[in-house]
Amino acid sequence: MSLKDQVAVVGIGLTYAAPDEAVAVGDLAILAAEAALDDAGLDRRDIQNLAWATGAGDPGGMAAAMGVPEVSFSANLTSGASGAGSLMLAATSINAGFGDVCLSVISFQPIPAGGARTSSAYRANFVAGPGAYGGAMAAAPEDAFTTPAGISSQGATQALIANRYLHEHKVPREHLGEVVVNQRANAGDSLTMAEYLSAPLIVGPLSAYDCTPDFEGGFSAAVITTTAARARDLKQPVVLIGGAVTGGTPSHATPFQMPAASFGSSGHRDLAAPLYEMADVGAQDVDVALIDDDFSPMVLMQLEDYGFCDFGEAGDYVARGNTRLEGGKVPVNPHGGNLSRAYVKGLNHVFEAVEQLRGTARNQVAGADVALVTGSPASIPLSAVILRKA
Amino acid sequence: MTTFEHLPPPSIEDPAADERTQPFWDATKEHRLVAPKCSNCGTFRMPPARFCPNCLSMELEYVPIPGTGTVFSSAVVHEPLTPAAEGHVPYVAAVIDADGAPGIRFVSNVVDCAPDAVEPGMKVQVVWHDVSDTLTLPLWAPAES
Amino acid sequence: MTTTEPAAKPFRNMPAPVLSDPYADARTQPFWDAAKREELVAPKCGNCGTFRMPPTRFCANCLSEELVYEPIPGTGTVFTFIVVRHPLNPRAADYVPFMPAAIDADGAPGIRFISNVVDCEPEDVKIGMRVKVVWNHVNDALTLPFWAPA
Repeated sequence: MSLKDQVAVVGIGLTYAAPDEAVAVGDLAILAAEAALDDAGLDRRDIQNLAWATGAGDPGGMAAAMGVPEVSFSANLTSGASGAGSLMLAATSINAGFGDVCLSVISFQPIPAGGARTSSAYRANFVAGPGAYGGAMAAAPEDAFTTPAGISSQGATQALIANRYLHEHKVPREHLGEVVVNQRANAGDSLTMAEYLSAPLIVGPLSAYDCTPDFEGGFSAAVITTTAARARDLKQPVVLIGGAVTGGTPSHATPFQMPAASFGSSGHRDLAAPLYEMADVGAQDVDVALIDDDFSPMVLMQLEDYGFCDFGEAGDYVARGNTRLEGGKVPVNPHGGNLSRAYVKGLNHVFEAVEQLRGTARNQVAGADVALVTGSPASIPLSAVILRKA
Repeated sequence: MTTFEHLPPPSIEDPAADERTQPFWDATKEHRLVAPKCSNCGTFRMPPARFCPNCLSMELEYVPIPGTGTVFSSAVVHEPLTPAAEGHVPYVAAVIDADGAPGIRFVSNVVDCAPDAVEPGMKVQVVWHDVSDTLTLPLWAPAES
Repeated sequence: MTTTEPAAKPFRNMPAPVLSDPYADARTQPFWDAAKREELVAPKCGNCGTFRMPPTRFCANCLSEELVYEPIPGTGTVFTFIVVRHPLNPRAADYVPFMPAAIDADGAPGIRFISNVVDCEPEDVKIGMRVKVVWNHVNDALTLPFWAPA
């Protein structure tokens, strides 16, 4: 049976640890899960399914530590999948009949103060398959074909992809600046275009403003999902999962070899049609878009991939104000997104979407009924979700 | 041996080659550029992985190519991305469409050129960076007109 | 990680030393302080009274973080055990055979101490056998409980 409208997001919880707090990532996860259960009005004994994205520790161990009595489903996604993807897995587990209540968790290990890089531009690339990027030492024989170029960071990879896009469509840096300045304004920062344009570049065209800052300290985010029927009996306004997809084109795992036609893209092109079809909506129905924004050029490319504008037109689309909170046709990242705050592996976009649809968001988009949430454009699986108010 | 301006930061000293990839580095040591190609279906692949993603054959050959090409995309690295890169910025990371090897790109650097002058579409030719006894890297410089 | 090499084995058929520091934090330190004083204590939830082993941060029964260490008599029963005869770790070559065991300690229902039966021969160990705690003072930071025939 189609996932459409079968499952609801009923609880969200987020917990932080300061950089110098000695706290285990598994314990942070329990605190986040408690917060999400509290938000939902459910108890840990109600949890039956565990659906993780990646890198949040062992679901089974956490269930034992929390006193979950019995587990009917426990799985996580592969590789770089993010928060939106965990909703797909959660919805699948419930829709398939394995259990009614699912816990999804994202956790990051506490980083000591000063121990984090200042920007995701420096974060190491995923090693997606044999010898994609490698580190400073060539380990596999394939590594020697990319390692010497000195691009062992996500900032460099994103810049190489973006520059092709910017060149092909003659997009000025001001259009990237629009993305950044809008989102910073949403977060309450007063960044001007002049300040953006004069910031020193890390890897052209990216300055620190174009990359999400790394988070100092640890955090954990948890989401509780359950059947739409049960959600109606709980205390929060019902937020349904209208559609949830993961996947993408495997060639994106070795991104520099992608065919020219799709090189300057976010990789989400193949997800948009199945997602919209599952949710029975189109781009014109989306009231608020939570676009994964670790790097500003990817926001432009995703706007095109999700059909908000034609290919090559996203810069103009943004410059004309279509994504602004005030008066925008489809406000993007009203919470400021990852570009303003830190990288929370996509679950903070899920949180914002849920709050928008509940009507409790800090920067509430009036009448928000349908939200698009996209997951990190890294290696596959990419992910995307349509959430809608019941 | 000439040194080039705006070399990438030093990284590996040895390609850690196996039987399959060694022929590439044997050729570069002799300053010859070759491209990995499936002997079964003719599809080029980069890097030279064990299996052809088109037909899954393991038959691999290295085809001589002229050493000219076009910048497909590039990025100027201004800040050291790793500690080893301190003192070696700016340099230009680039993805090169090499003539004679359609469907693959060389991930490399453009050297001997003002970094800001590099852009997609620029014509380049291979130059040879002799790193060690076992490693000569193909790099790319503006094509002589 | 360094290992301690005792000059002589303080206990017959003891296991190979593998730990030289308990890596304690504020939550687990009381167990090791008591062990140093040769007092056996059991971690117990200060809220609902459920014993837990190891002393994790949250009680799996009620999720409370309140943790107490209850003194217990130091006697118990072997619940299950094995005899290690083959040194999988080369450092254990001088220590085989030894008898890892799960011990039901009197006064701490619902948990078991994972430890070793010492000061007897492997063929003497039986499920249900009564044992009492003996103390292995490894160094200033670490005293380990072992169990010998009562």
